[in-house]
Amino acid sequence: MKVMPMTWARATSSRIADELPKTADAVVIGGGVIGTSIAYHLAKKGFGRIALVERSYLACGSSGRCGAGVRQQWGTKLNCLLSIDSVKAFERMDEELGYSRSIEFKQGGYLLLAYTRREAEQFRENVRLQQELGIPVSLLTPSEAREIVPILNTDCVHLATFCPTDGHANPFHVTYAYATAGKRLGVKIHTFTEAYDIMTESGKVEGVKTNKGTISTDVVICAAGPYSGVVARMVGLDIPFYPERHQILVTEPVEPVLGPMVMSFSRRFYCQQTPHGSFIMGMGDPKEKPGFSVSSTWEFLVEMAEEITKVLPPVGQLSVVRQWAGLYDMTPDAHPILGSTPCAGLYLACGFSGHGFMLAPVTGKLISEIVCDEEPSIDIHGLDLGRFERGELVIEPSVV
Amino acid sequence: MDDGRIKRHPILEFKEGRKVHFMFDGKELEGYEGEPIACALHAAGVRVLRESPGLKRPRGFFCAIGNCSSCLMTVDGRPNVRVCVEKLREGMNVTTQKGKGVLLADN
Repeated sequence: MKVMPMTWARATSSRIADELPKTADAVVIGGGVIGTSIAYHLAKKGFGRIALVERSYLACGSSGRCGAGVRQQWGTKLNCLLSIDSVKAFERMDEELGYSRSIEFKQGGYLLLAYTRREAEQFRENVRLQQELGIPVSLLTPSEAREIVPILNTDCVHLATFCPTDGHANPFHVTYAYATAGKRLGVKIHTFTEAYDIMTESGKVEGVKTNKGTISTDVVICAAGPYSGVVARMVGLDIPFYPERHQILVTEPVEPVLGPMVMSFSRRFYCQQTPHGSFIMGMGDPKEKPGFSVSSTWEFLVEMAEEITKVLPPVGQLSVVRQWAGLYDMTPDAHPILGSTPCAGLYLACGFSGHGFMLAPVTGKLISEIVCDEEPSIDIHGLDLGRFERGELVIEPSVV
Repeated sequence: MDDGRIKRHPILEFKEGRKVHFMFDGKELEGYEGEPIACALHAAGVRVLRESPGLKRPRGFFCAIGNCSSCLMTVDGRPNVRVCVEKLREGMNVTTQKGKGVLLADN
């Protein structure tokens, strides 16, 4: 019974802490893994008073709905470099962020399956690039792939690639780890606070209007995931960007049997077994239209089950516990948009095209460097918003 | 339920079929075809159906409608079978599940 007053006290004190500041040195819009990572990295640099506004609760959007994979096996140099840096951060994240629990980073590798000759050719090219960059990836024959995943059906598999340091983590824990570490450094996190306008004066950011009040600031960082287009339009910016629903499901848990994330680009599926023992899997739908819907369909349940029981037949014995959907924030070249905008003081960290979770650590670091006017530790000038106008797209061939 | 056999269920209907034999943790037991496996086990005096995955505490017959996970067992090599709603057949091999159940590659 004594729990009651405690709970009340906590609720009240958090309400007081939620009082929106009148001014801030930077406002981050979006309380997902990207926004919390940016806020933490800015605070670590001692940037000043940082406020993060989230219209719902932390990780309620794409972060908490994602497949949570972390891989370095990419087809472009830029994505490889960004993900190498992120994997290093995931490896020491519990310690770096002083997280009392665990982000559940499991480095069981990623096993990518090539089902067509063309795909196999692409994989060979990717592996050459990845090995040049020091990623410990190797090409495998179907039978070698089966040694790593004994429950794998290798029918029609031309070849596979495997990188043992890839893996997956728990996106809720990662978001909360960044949020709590940020708070410790003075970041004010305001949930259920929706930014609905960005005030500007002669092309410069002046502040953010929210449903809880207005914050004056010179710096706004948009980390609103699939809603970043909406945020950009607040200052009249049109970014080539659209939200796309992706569905996912989770099974009951069993003892560990699947080490790596198993993935195919041509068949558009991925499947991992969490440390808890449940299998999380998703599949892209090429007929999916752009939109903000996150409803689930029975068609996905059937198609996903059919596909996964072909690839990992024993998984067919498991019951599905639940399914859900989330949004990818898609750009025309499947690379994120990182950096400044024509509106002085507004920075974008969006357009991750389905791999924002794994790039969250490096994104936080790079954006904090850019906002602090430092040279970014990885050359990402090709990821600016201007590339679309210049027609300098960096197409990523390896996405689900 | 004189012999500990459950004959009436709030929502499931089962007719007592012919007598069949099945294996439970290496012992041969008897039951009736078509009754839930859990009913046959209960009649045979088996009260502990699994152990909780975290704290390894005994778990027995509980919801009896396939909802609660208290009776997950391995049946013919298949893990996490809810034996309270799985019909008994001749020759079934029922085993107590340790941990979360094992997915067999050749199943």
